[in-house]
Amino acid sequence: MFKKPRYIFRYNKNPKSLITSFQCLTTAALPTERIDSFRCVINNPLEQNEGHIGQFYRVPEDVVSKLFSQGGLPKSFRIQTKTFAETCLMIRKPSIDIINCIKNLDFSKPVPRFVLYGQKGVGKSLSLAHIVHYGYEAGFLLVHIPWLGEWMRRPKDSSPSETKEGYTNINLDIASWLVHFKNQNSLLLEKANLKTTQTYKWTKREETVANSNLMDLVDHGINRIKFASDCVLALLNEIKQLSKSGKCKTLVAIDGFNAFFYPETRIRTEKKEIVHPHNVSVTEGFLSLTRFDWKNAVAVLIVDELAIAEKDQTSYFPRYLLGKDGFEHLDPFIPVLVNGYSNKEFLSCMNYYRERRWVQPLPGLDDELSVISSSNPYKLMQLCAPL
Amino acid sequence: MLRSLRLKRLLQFNGKTLYNVSRLLRSEPTKLTTVESENESEAKLEKKSMSKAMKAYLERAQAHDEFMKQQNYEFQIGKRHLANMMGENPETFTQDDVDRAIEYLFPSGLYEKRARPIMKPPEEVFPKRKAAEFDETGRPHHFLFYTGKSNYFNLLYDIVEHINNLNKYEDSMLNKNSYPDPNTKLQLDGYQWMDKEALENVLIEKIIDKEYTNFVNAIERLYNHPYSYRIKEFILKYRKPLMSQKSTSDLPKLQYDSDGRSYVTVYECLRKRARGHVTIRAPGSGIISINGKDLMYFEDTQPREQVIFPLIFTKMLNKVDVEAYVEGGGPSGQAGAIRWGISWGLRSFVDDKIIESMRIAGLLTRDYRTRERKKPGQAGARRKFTWKKR
Repeated sequence: MFKKPRYIFRYNKNPKSLITSFQCLTTAALPTERIDSFRCVINNPLEQNEGHIGQFYRVPEDVVSKLFSQGGLPKSFRIQTKTFAETCLMIRKPSIDIINCIKNLDFSKPVPRFVLYGQKGVGKSLSLAHIVHYGYEAGFLLVHIPWLGEWMRRPKDSSPSETKEGYTNINLDIASWLVHFKNQNSLLLEKANLKTTQTYKWTKREETVANSNLMDLVDHGINRIKFASDCVLALLNEIKQLSKSGKCKTLVAIDGFNAFFYPETRIRTEKKEIVHPHNVSVTEGFLSLTRFDWKNAVAVLIVDELAIAEKDQTSYFPRYLLGKDGFEHLDPFIPVLVNGYSNKEFLSCMNYYRERRWVQPLPGLDDELSVISSSNPYKLMQLCAPL
Repeated sequence: MLRSLRLKRLLQFNGKTLYNVSRLLRSEPTKLTTVESENESEAKLEKKSMSKAMKAYLERAQAHDEFMKQQNYEFQIGKRHLANMMGENPETFTQDDVDRAIEYLFPSGLYEKRARPIMKPPEEVFPKRKAAEFDETGRPHHFLFYTGKSNYFNLLYDIVEHINNLNKYEDSMLNKNSYPDPNTKLQLDGYQWMDKEALENVLIEKIIDKEYTNFVNAIERLYNHPYSYRIKEFILKYRKPLMSQKSTSDLPKLQYDSDGRSYVTVYECLRKRARGHVTIRAPGSGIISINGKDLMYFEDTQPREQVIFPLIFTKMLNKVDVEAYVEGGGPSGQAGAIRWGISWGLRSFVDDKIIESMRIAGLLTRDYRTRERKKPGQAGARRKFTWKKR
């Protein structure tokens, strides 16, 4: 009974055709709940510690759909999770370090900024996903940009701002981000008593009055895409105020943060001039959230080579990627280097793949793969795909 | 009449008596004619027909001997001249010196070594000839003469005889209840059977491909016999050591650095337009550095696989450190150069058996292929322009 689905699985690597064959496999594989060394029994990031480094934990499906349905997990990884019929994240040192820091943080002090950096494909985004999951469980208000490159490098639209002279709006992207924000924080927005501090007047007839729910602001941005950018600016401003006054804790998580400081975006004005990221209307709001001049919050940022143009991808260090302005903007921050897999992590990953019947157990396979991939998680994933 | 009878009877004897017979024939024809004239014509005819081939052969042999003598004389003179030209002692001038002098005096850029000028002893230059295969009466010496390839078939005959003898021996041993010891079995790894050309030289006979395969099959069977070690001498005559067996003897010696680690550096690692040098250190932990970077120096998977292949093949992946410097060419050429360098250097760290398997896997063979030039009037090296009627 067990062998037949495995056979089907080996020859159906297309995830779409897999789902049917997988359902019979998962029923066979999962209920046993073997406690393998590479699987973490604790699926709650609040309780994980250094002892779990290198192990995989399963993110519940409802949490995944809540947190990452609009992005946050890299596409290739998302495809794999679909194939594996579960979303498992590896507990790695950078993320667990940051989580420990956040746990012991004195929130009355100015906001600490963590900057994750590292070579391409070492797992920065997935470390951030782990931290976001922690933030969700710990009751943080999440301000999470899944991939800033999406806005700066591949904007869906652009229009001149009506409220601010010389600025450009990318309203479609921003509106979809508002949906993302709403998804991630729906529970918190309903439960906590988060009210606006001032009245925002959009048009003659439309306004968001003071002391209305924060959700109204979000909904307005989603329904009236024209005002999405302004809504976000207002929202971010409100969040900052609320945190300052201690009504909520905020986790700011931005992937590809250095795109805010890379002068060549692909956003163009109506005259086809390239727009500097500082002239995109929402930039200001997010930059203000990454300053240290507030409290009850923590910022985890990723600087990534992929967020800038290919011709300038020469180094992965924050000083280079952020440039002088960006570096001074963040200074002082806590740099956290993300490396490729250690031996333990590599072995754990291969065991996981084997358990998922993703690679065949062959002698000498691990050694060869570890050398060829240089223990780079993304490379390893690519190499294992056809095995 | 009586004499002729005696003669006839004598003629039926074997080769030893033939000499006497010929003497008889030479000394007595006058008597024969005088005593019995009726037999005269018969004897003459017999003598004439018998000696014809032999006579022709003797003439040819004599001419050849003379020719060789002349050639030898000229070679000796030439060698002395050469020695004088080179300012060396003609008495102690060896063939090696001759070769060196020729290479110096007639430098040749020809690729094919056999096409370059040579000066060898005439015995090597002119092909050997078979000695007379029949006696003066025209009777062949060899019992397989009429097969046309007596030496070749004799060799096959010998092989079969050896097999039969070994089988007999095996039977006798089995009767004594003793079995062949697998340890004493003939082990001739790193050898191969003499190729067709060499076999032809030994046999002094031309053979066709099919005959050569027959020979290989037969001797292979003999070689695989459990008691073949008893006739090792015979088998070894037809077995030739492989090329690399010589080169393994001059493996680079291990050197030791200040940490006490052994290392070997291979210079001149070439492939396509790339060249580099590779240092292998042992004991190591599998660190590979290429031009100061790790294996990620190569962006694609294929060249990375190329580089680590010899390490995986010899199971030395985590036992040695590799440091390589390459320049020129592209990723594929550079990876090939490093691969060759690693394989070449690893010979000092592994045993002969692995070296032999590396050679068979083609790791120790230098790849001399390079880009072929583009030809004028064509689209590329070989490709022609699209043909258009008009």
